[in-house]
Amino acid sequence: MKIRKALLKIVNHRATPYVVLSVISFFMITPFIWMGLSAFKTLSETFRCPPTYFPENPTLKTMSEAWFKAPIPTYIINSLIVCLGSTFIIIIAGSFTAYALSQYRYKGSNIALGLFLFTRIIPPLSLLLPYYLMLMKLHLLNTRISVVLYLIYLNYPLIVWLLKGFFDSFPRDLTDAAIADGCSRTGAIIRIVFPVAATSIGAIAVIGFLWAWNEFFAPFLFISYDELKPITVGIYYFVGDEYAYWNRMCAAGIYAVIPSLLFFLLAQKYIVKGLTSGALKY
Amino acid sequence: MKISNSKYGAILSVPGLVLLLIWVLIPFFYLIYLSFLRYDNMSPVVFHGFANYKRVFQDSAFPSILAHTFIFSFGSTGLTFLTSLILALCLNKIVKGSTFFRSLVIMPWAVPLILSGFLWAWMFHPSFGPISDILIKLKLISEPLNIYKNPKMSMAGVIIADAWRRIPFLAIITLAGFQAIPEELYDAAKVDGADSFHIFRYVSMPLASRPVLIGTLITLMFSFRSIDVIYSMTPGGGYAKGTYVLGTYLFDYMYEFLNFGLAASTSVILSIFTLTIGSFFIYYTLKKR
Repeated sequence: MKIRKALLKIVNHRATPYVVLSVISFFMITPFIWMGLSAFKTLSETFRCPPTYFPENPTLKTMSEAWFKAPIPTYIINSLIVCLGSTFIIIIAGSFTAYALSQYRYKGSNIALGLFLFTRIIPPLSLLLPYYLMLMKLHLLNTRISVVLYLIYLNYPLIVWLLKGFFDSFPRDLTDAAIADGCSRTGAIIRIVFPVAATSIGAIAVIGFLWAWNEFFAPFLFISYDELKPITVGIYYFVGDEYAYWNRMCAAGIYAVIPSLLFFLLAQKYIVKGLTSGALKY
Repeated sequence: MKISNSKYGAILSVPGLVLLLIWVLIPFFYLIYLSFLRYDNMSPVVFHGFANYKRVFQDSAFPSILAHTFIFSFGSTGLTFLTSLILALCLNKIVKGSTFFRSLVIMPWAVPLILSGFLWAWMFHPSFGPISDILIKLKLISEPLNIYKNPKMSMAGVIIADAWRRIPFLAIITLAGFQAIPEELYDAAKVDGADSFHIFRYVSMPLASRPVLIGTLITLMFSFRSIDVIYSMTPGGGYAKGTYVLGTYLFDYMYEFLNFGLAASTSVILSIFTLTIGSFFIYYTLKKR
């Protein structure tokens, strides 16, 4: 009991959560700090033993080299194209299905729902091979379309699931009132549901975009032309088999993280809401 | 003519279901078909029965690969779960600065897994990385931690790098679970004389168990099937193949040895394992409260 009392005193102390949070948060941002500091080091300084923490001669050369010499802007544009493209298709195709699954019961609707859960679970790694062979037969390898097609597979079931969770909590009165006023059901969806739900659908789209942004293996396999590679594959080639350009990798990493980090910090509230409503409330 | 609501719902969901069929189910069945072929890009493709499966199961490395897969996924999920729980409990307690700390905690989510692997690989580097250096300066260790020469250390390294990237998701889910608990319940428990441990054991955990469980299962599935961190941090399976998992095995047969039949059967095995974990997930998701 004495131990319990002593522990309680620690747990209930006002400062405890702050101390614990500071320690863990430090652990969470250490790689960011290391990445940020290293991007301003010269290559020889990154191979110093013991390592230096603050760059001795901070230089912007690495950042500019990564931007201008390695085609980072091209990589980022490629990433943006495939991520936005796939997310757009998913949201357009998925919204109606998710709405139907959420608002209407029909014969087999439970099976359809189960199908979405089931396909969400199949490992993406497992489907790389069939996708590769199918894309090869369709002569789509080494195109951005190949990655878009794969990303649709990767995120579609998840996004529909999140959307469905969100539509479950959508106030029915709104659509009922519109239909009572003579609006058709499809009209009610397009004129009432989507405009009202725009922010939440947007948040879910952002989640899908970020998932797509992270994808590495599919573009790594499907694309061998440098000018078509997305940023994740671009980063990979800074760490070669024999020699690692750590400082340039960090610089490239910063460029790769900035867009998604901005999205996250700006849309944090909505993302959290979208994720929790979709993943937890049924 | 007015069609019934249920028919309307069915028609409305047809396009999305067709998309699902074309994009996910057809490749999946194609994969199962491939796994029964002798498709090694050296000899003509012929039907091969269960020979590919046999070869995978009889591979002398298979037991250790399976063991690594489980150590990695459960280790990563365990670390993620514990850290997320502590984070969520703390974030739930504070008011001042909660947005600030939540933003810090959420940050790793923005980092591609492949980059997480590279960053941690460098930070763990015995000569050029800061972790060993700091620990030596604090006199906690005498020799640098070498993730490149010690298979157990490599495993610990990839688990940390993987968990680091997965903590934000589970922490947010857990926090949302705690915040959904009505304040009155805490007050009632306090009136009844419950201390913080009682409240955690009898109020917070039982009421938030569903989201926490589902979030943990998602994390487990994801870490079971993704090899980005392992691939970038310990290329080729690491020293003494200490981090060689089912996913890397699959990827090697597909990408290095170009034996598509064998890769397909490994893919099916991986899918079966993931679906086993996933069936719990489906069960708890569809279970009515």
